[in-house]
Amino acid sequence: MSMADQMSPSFGTSHDLLASTRALTRRVRDAQRGAWFPLALFGLATLASAPFDRYGTTRTCSSPNARGYVCSIYSTWSFIYWPTVLVLIYIVVASFYARRSRERGVGTRVTPYVVVGITIAVVLTAASVWLITHPSPSGSIVGLPLHPGSPLWTAFYRLVSPAAAIGLALLVLARIERNVALLVFTLGYLAIVLFLFSGRHGPVMPHPSPWDFLPRLFIDGGVLLIGSFGFALAGRRGGRSGP
Amino acid sequence: MTHATSELDDIVHQRVRLGILIIAHEARRAEFGFLRTTLDLTSGNLGQHLTVLEKAGLVHIEKGYEGKRPRTWVSLTAAGEAALRDEITQLKRLIHQIERAAARRPRNSG
Repeated sequence: MSMADQMSPSFGTSHDLLASTRALTRRVRDAQRGAWFPLALFGLATLASAPFDRYGTTRTCSSPNARGYVCSIYSTWSFIYWPTVLVLIYIVVASFYARRSRERGVGTRVTPYVVVGITIAVVLTAASVWLITHPSPSGSIVGLPLHPGSPLWTAFYRLVSPAAAIGLALLVLARIERNVALLVFTLGYLAIVLFLFSGRHGPVMPHPSPWDFLPRLFIDGGVLLIGSFGFALAGRRGGRSGP
Repeated sequence: MTHATSELDDIVHQRVRLGILIIAHEARRAEFGFLRTTLDLTSGNLGQHLTVLEKAGLVHIEKGYEGKRPRTWVSLTAAGEAALRDEITQLKRLIHQIERAAARRPRNSG
């Protein structure tokens, strides 16, 4: 009888133990995950920002040069709406996870997500305000060699938007929840936010409509709500498949 | 060379206790009811295993109330984290040793 044969019960037991370890890990993670909730709140908040974008818009133009005017069109009310709403949402999300933790009996370290989320929201709002109050006549951004209207130029402006603030913080939530699906979703969402058509940040807008922000808003909010629905559905299925 | 089985800790290697350690590690803090349901145990049985782990200094048990409901939370101590890490390492090592031995066996021996 070989050593492997002698050891086979132990081999089987060790394999079984490792397999049950992975199964337990999965069950704990399923019980901890609740990304559908912040995604739903952020999706609704994005759609609810429409009146602020439509009626709180300010336009400032520099003195004309050879190429025409350089104008900044931005929503003044958004600078009040978004930081306030984001902070409120993170507080609600923290209490949601705390209550869920008590109900389900498993701890979740959501504090880093809330802290990072609020920090990103404040920093990006400040950066956004600074960019608007310090427009460059050439259209470049803080001296970076970015051609106005290029995809990178547009992506930079989108990077300081509330949509990007939501996405960047979601990366932290994906890490905390050790949720690969949420990571993939967030990267896709950020790619849409940063690179999908330029919307109102395009360089040439001869006659901008006061509603030109709507397609972008519906896409950003819609993706978040679809994600929320998907993760809620996956969570319910995961819960049902458990013993 | 020592065999991996000689390095396994009997307290940790027991299936239920290993399950408790895994859950407490993943959750940071696990409630008695969640452990009982997830591991499919009776309260008495789970209590016995928790006592063994607590006496060995591997878990910290915290009793309290939530409203009027008594709640018991279990978390890993630093020694518990280390013991769990060692156990997983030894299990992987054991599997690796046996797989290597099986690979060295002549294919026509069976």
